[in-house]
Amino acid sequence: MNMQASAPILEADHLRKHFPVRQFRPLAKPQAVQAVEDISLALSAGHAMALVGESGSGKTTVARMLARLYEPTSGEIRFRGAPVASTKRSALHAYRHHVQMVFQDPFASLNPVHSVRHHLGRALRLHDRAHSQSEETAQILALLNKVSLTPAEQFIEKYPHELSGGQRQRVSIARALAVGPEVLLADEPVSMLDVSIRLGVLNLLLRLKQEEHLAVLFITHDIASARYFAEETLVMYAGQSVEGGPSDAVIQQPKHPYTQLLISAAPDPDRPSSAKPLPARGEIPSLITPPSGCRFHPRCPHAMPICRERFPGRTDLGEGHWTNCFLYGEGQASSAPTNQATASSTPTAES
Amino acid sequence: MTMKMNTNSPLLDVSHLCVDYLSESGEVHAVSDVSLRLRRGEILGLAGESGSGKSTMAYAITRLLRPPAEITRGEVLYYGQEFDHPGASGAKEPFDILDLSPAELRAIRWREIAIVFQSAMNALNPTMTVGNQLLDVLATHRPKMTSAQRRERARELFEMVGIAAERLKSYPHELSGGMRQRATIAIALALSPKLIIMDEPTTALDVVVQREILTELLRLREQLDLSIIFITHDLSLLLEIADTIAIMYAGRVVEMTSARELHRQPLHPYSFGMLHSFPSLHGERRLMTGIAGSPPDLRNAPTGCAFHPRCPLVFAPCAQIVPALLSTPANRVGQSVACHRYDPAHAVGMEPPTPAEMEAGYSALASTTPELGRTPA
Repeated sequence: MNMQASAPILEADHLRKHFPVRQFRPLAKPQAVQAVEDISLALSAGHAMALVGESGSGKTTVARMLARLYEPTSGEIRFRGAPVASTKRSALHAYRHHVQMVFQDPFASLNPVHSVRHHLGRALRLHDRAHSQSEETAQILALLNKVSLTPAEQFIEKYPHELSGGQRQRVSIARALAVGPEVLLADEPVSMLDVSIRLGVLNLLLRLKQEEHLAVLFITHDIASARYFAEETLVMYAGQSVEGGPSDAVIQQPKHPYTQLLISAAPDPDRPSSAKPLPARGEIPSLITPPSGCRFHPRCPHAMPICRERFPGRTDLGEGHWTNCFLYGEGQASSAPTNQATASSTPTAES
Repeated sequence: MTMKMNTNSPLLDVSHLCVDYLSESGEVHAVSDVSLRLRRGEILGLAGESGSGKSTMAYAITRLLRPPAEITRGEVLYYGQEFDHPGASGAKEPFDILDLSPAELRAIRWREIAIVFQSAMNALNPTMTVGNQLLDVLATHRPKMTSAQRRERARELFEMVGIAAERLKSYPHELSGGMRQRATIAIALALSPKLIIMDEPTTALDVVVQREILTELLRLREQLDLSIIFITHDLSLLLEIADTIAIMYAGRVVEMTSARELHRQPLHPYSFGMLHSFPSLHGERRLMTGIAGSPPDLRNAPTGCAFHPRCPLVFAPCAQIVPALLSTPANRVGQSVACHRYDPAHAVGMEPPTPAEMEAGYSALASTTPELGRTPA
């Protein structure tokens, strides 16, 4: 992931997460949901990375590991170059000064019995940001202004039921910002909101990313909003990363057959009528007994024997664009990847 | 967007339909004065945000509303062809669904009009196999069929929607989300209805599965000559599959036109704003403005045009007079819009708004909120 920008703030190396499955037969072989297999990414200040995939692809699990809500099964998370491993309360508390999360459902993430003041004030107090009542109020008002909930004096005493979905999501963004984080992990921040409001919240996050110089991980299933919001996109399938790089390259010249399928299936009224949607087959596999090798191989129109045997290494396609697919000559240089496939099955995107 | 219309004859004519929810603080007008026409073999898309009244409309048409909802006005004419009017003897006249007795309703439900709900998990009974649920429908409505015929029909239906017939023995929890939704479609098709109402049928599904089901649906439409009312908040999806689209806002239809015209040139400022709220997969990346504010609370809806507080083109009459859905002049046949700017009676000395004017209006509105008016990084 060669970024022209500054050194990454938060890095994840080869993260894996298996959730054990509870079983009632004492001698049975232990089973696990293999939710995330070998994901690496890096977030840097003022940049956004979109994590795209269907439900069950492991994108939320990745965010929760980065937020240290889940302990990775293996792999390393580094904040400003230093590994974060301690699970001590104080270490986690310090970590959350820097890394904050915004959840998907603003109806569930705010406590209905507490006011906006309570939600934001608590974050400020817990992280030692405000030392007096008046200081706290001033900071809450500043936060509300920052997320464009104006006039802030009116919003400060409101309860969640008095707010619309978009306003609630702004409150939860303000709460995440209260501690002055450097990294924001936004898990589908707009998918529960009405269409006409989504763009407002996305634009707010764009502005905050610039003004606060935040590193943002933007999780979404909507590939068009990934392109709108993030400089970089990482596509996941069934816990594996399949393709990544600059958003425009990934979305306009998708190389991995799964990315191509995802883009061809997305609603797109501007799609040229000549472009026929790719035939889809099957659905995301069980992650308890996932397919061997590349987990996409049972659905892949270009599957080869080797795809069943092992997961392909990364192929660099140039300019930061990469894919994990044998079609492009695993691990080889970026030269002419399309020569690898025969003309009839060349996996080029719709033109 | 294939406009294959073998007949242009109407199937369903909704006129001046009003639905209120009665509450302690007075009635809430969930659907106000909606008129629609659905032709045979047509897909009519109903688009709107939450609270726009699109689902209430669908339930009113099928008479599925329960108190405190009440249909206060209107007419829903259904043009059954082979179907005899349940009341009058053998007439082929259209009849008003709102006048039917419970027994008459039972006779048309499922045989003529079927409905597919948003959440397939909740629409299916978790304690029965999907096959038994399908057989149940056939046993109730087709008592003359033998059980072997019913089983044969069940297998045929499952294959029609692209599920292997062995899956009839599965319980809903054993099926994936996509398969469950296919099973509910198969159940809806059991008695070969003419009209299927689909309420957000793919909203809970992933895009790839959504695409598969839509493709299947378009195929079934051709094969069975179905008419479909497709309800969704996803306008970009409707533009691809619907023939005609009605856009609803705060209980009213604000624009109704063919999908092609809507895509080419939306007339109502709300439709324009909605269409420009979806980031695109193509073209230059640029900051989009969206629509400022949020959809109104119908308990105290704005006066006049409900969209006026968010509208970039607002002028004097908007806050006072509710605009009627009028067909637009001359060259734009079949496109109707409820906006005073297109009504010569109100927009005196004003030209109809151009797309450029609407875009500029939205940008100007947006500049009052700080995050807008910037360029994305």
